[in-house]
Amino acid sequence: MAQGEPRDEDESRRKFMLAGAGVLGACVAGITAAPALSMLTHPLRTPTTSGSDAFIPAGKLAQFEGTVPIKVDLYADKVDAWNRVVQVKIGSAWVMQHEDKLVAMSTVCPHLGCAIDFDAEGGKFVCPCHDSYFSLDGAVETGPSPRGMDALEVQTQGELVAIRYQRFRQGTETKEPV
Amino acid sequence: MQWIDWLEERTALPGIWRRFVDHPVPGGPRMRNVLPAVLVYLVVQQMVLGVLLAAHYSPSATDAWASTAYLNDRLDSGWFIRGLHHYGTSALILTAIAYLVQLAVTREYGKPRELVWISTLGLLLVTMVLGMTGNILPWDEQGYWAAQVELGIVEQTPGGEALRAVVQGGAEAGNLTLTRIYAAHAFLLPLLAVALVVGIVVLGRRAEAREAEASAKVQTFGAGQLLVDMLAMLLVAGALVATTVQTHGSELYAPADPTSGFQARPEWYFLFLYKLRMFFEGPLEPVATMVIPGAMGAFLVAAPFLDAMAGRVGRIGVLGGLGLLLAGVVALTAVSISSDAGNESYQKALAQAHKEAERARGFASEGVLPEGGPAVFQNDPEYKVRALYVEHCQNCHELDGFGGEEAPALTEYGNREWLFALVRDPNAKRFFGGTKHRDMDAYPEVAGNDEQTAISDEQLHALVEYLWQLQGEPDVDATLATQGKALWDDELDCNNCHEVDGKSEGSGPNLLGHGSVAWVARVIRDSSKPELFGQEAQMPKFGDDKLSDEQLADLAAFIVRQRGAEVTAEAAAEAAAAATKAAQAKDGANDGATEAKAPEPDDEAEPDDEAEPEPDE
Ligand code: FES
Repeated sequence: MAQGEPRDEDESRRKFMLAGAGVLGACVAGITAAPALSMLTHPLRTPTTSGSDAFIPAGKLAQFEGTVPIKVDLYADKVDAWNRVVQVKIGSAWVMQHEDKLVAMSTVCPHLGCAIDFDAEGGKFVCPCHDSYFSLDGAVETGPSPRGMDALEVQTQGELVAIRYQRFRQGTETKEPV
Repeated sequence: MQWIDWLEERTALPGIWRRFVDHPVPGGPRMRNVLPAVLVYLVVQQMVLGVLLAAHYSPSATDAWASTAYLNDRLDSGWFIRGLHHYGTSALILTAIAYLVQLAVTREYGKPRELVWISTLGLLLVTMVLGMTGNILPWDEQGYWAAQVELGIVEQTPGGEALRAVVQGGAEAGNLTLTRIYAAHAFLLPLLAVALVVGIVVLGRRAEAREAEASAKVQTFGAGQLLVDMLAMLLVAGALVATTVQTHGSELYAPADPTSGFQARPEWYFLFLYKLRMFFEGPLEPVATMVIPGAMGAFLVAAPFLDAMAGRVGRIGVLGGLGLLLAGVVALTAVSISSDAGNESYQKALAQAHKEAERARGFASEGVLPEGGPAVFQNDPEYKVRALYVEHCQNCHELDGFGGEEAPALTEYGNREWLFALVRDPNAKRFFGGTKHRDMDAYPEVAGNDEQTAISDEQLHALVEYLWQLQGEPDVDATLATQGKALWDDELDCNNCHEVDGKSEGSGPNLLGHGSVAWVARVIRDSSKPELFGQEAQMPKFGDDKLSDEQLADLAAFIVRQRGAEVTAEAAAEAAAAATKAAQAKDGANDGATEAKAPEPDDEAEPDDEAEPEPDE
């Protein structure tokens, strides 16, 4: 190769050139990187899904007479990024009379989000994933769940029972809606 | 530096980098050396942008358009990323052509760079196919119809039918077409492009290193050329950004509609083939779609070899051939563009397509039903009200040729012609013929029996103008209406049955504001009100358990609009609220309740004062 020994002058010129190229290269990369970052972080600023946070009819009052929890599926319209879906199942709830009051609790386990089941024999709720047990009022009895089952707002509208369905942050001791 | 040694021992990467920057460039840093670097830059950028798009795109016939509309119109910077990717293809094609021209003109495409030349040709072709496949992915009108044409060309090749079915994934374009084209566009073709651009650079450098040995003036790549390359990239990047911003990204047309007959044009880099096709019709078509492009390709690949083989004559011949080819392509492209620009019907269709695109994308902001792209139009309020109409009204009322005959037709409901025909023969099928209402006599031109009163067309026009005025229309011929009122009150005694004060009951409906949105809303809610059709009414009541106030407002406005009348949303909402109130009021509690339901004809309608009845002269 025809370079000879690199002299100091050459070396500093070379460094300068490389640094310059680096700067220009960063500019070129930035043209894609900046909008890419804004696109990828879009969900941090704007919700991409939305459901109805209104009360959703869950059934007739007469259905929930007893103290045995009954599981109801809740249907509502939902927007999922580019789709609008009409009347899809958005979640389910356990509904029962408890101390003469109608209560509804989300079936989503506060631990890691598995579906909570009802163990009719033991008369308590159980999450099969990591064996969390909840009493009838939703309090944790044993297991890893950091808090009791999440109560949902219930309303009676004449003969109808309506529930406001919400999701809550998982794994935290306090119940915070997401 | 220790970490460099550490890395060197394990990966040899630092050495590779050093060889990369210490690569000898004969002749020193020059602008003429930049094109391969620009090709590398564009290929890399296209891949990054492509990954970003792929992260937000769903390749299915039902989701493709909706997801593209979402990423383009809703996601932050989505339009910019998509636009940059779109124009990046064009930049890549232009750069590849420029490099080819450079190689041919400097004769560098000869030994030892024949494979650089061929790789660049390959990259050009792959990029064009990338553009073609990418164009299809949004599954908008442009993509769908372009795909139809391109697949049609595939079908013309020998064994083409099978080939088309394979590319398309079946007998018809659909989900499999998109997944297959997507796989080609996002995985297969980019791999090829990368391989080709690596070939261009590596083979080019080999040749350069050889030339450097014989060159007096040599500098390392890192000492200058790299900076020049970067400068060139930045220039191209700037041009791309400017184009993207200026055009606000790439157009997205309305969702694919197999019935629309959209006039698809290929991207500019295929226009020459598109135009070429027009010269070869019928059975000759394959000449344009296959023979000529095939011959072009063969000549291009062979060019450096031909050049080397035939000495001076060969040089001139090859250069001439290449020049002619380029000129031909440019000319055909120009002709195609200018003939479209001058083609009025095409321009009209294009403008219409842009409008439709805007409409569809506006509706898409609510989310598209999972049925697929065209379902976006179900977000159109007009569509929703039509659905209501079909559900509740169409069984009895005909509209635009569809629907039952049990009740008056609503096509052009309440326009002058409609009123005219109604008075002539209220018992016709079009009006009350299908109902029990038989109380009103016909008013023919020539009386058929004693009970009928004959009126001339002229008289009837006057009468209709009066009815038009009662309807609260803005464009009333006042003189004619006054004549009509005279006929109404005296000669024809219409007022024997029809009151016109908006509250009193008669044996026929009280006609003040008839046909207005307020009237229609009241009829829908409860047509058996005494000042409407009374006990005779046959139409079912549509209480607020069947139609919400909002739906009622939409429906009433929809019906009134059938005659081209303008109804504002507020007027319709007011009408619906009033109708609901009126329907809920007890029939017996006449005065107070009926006051509320008096229709309010348009305020601007000048004739109101005249029409304001002095009841029962
Ligand atoms: S998810 Fe329910 S216990 Fe872990």
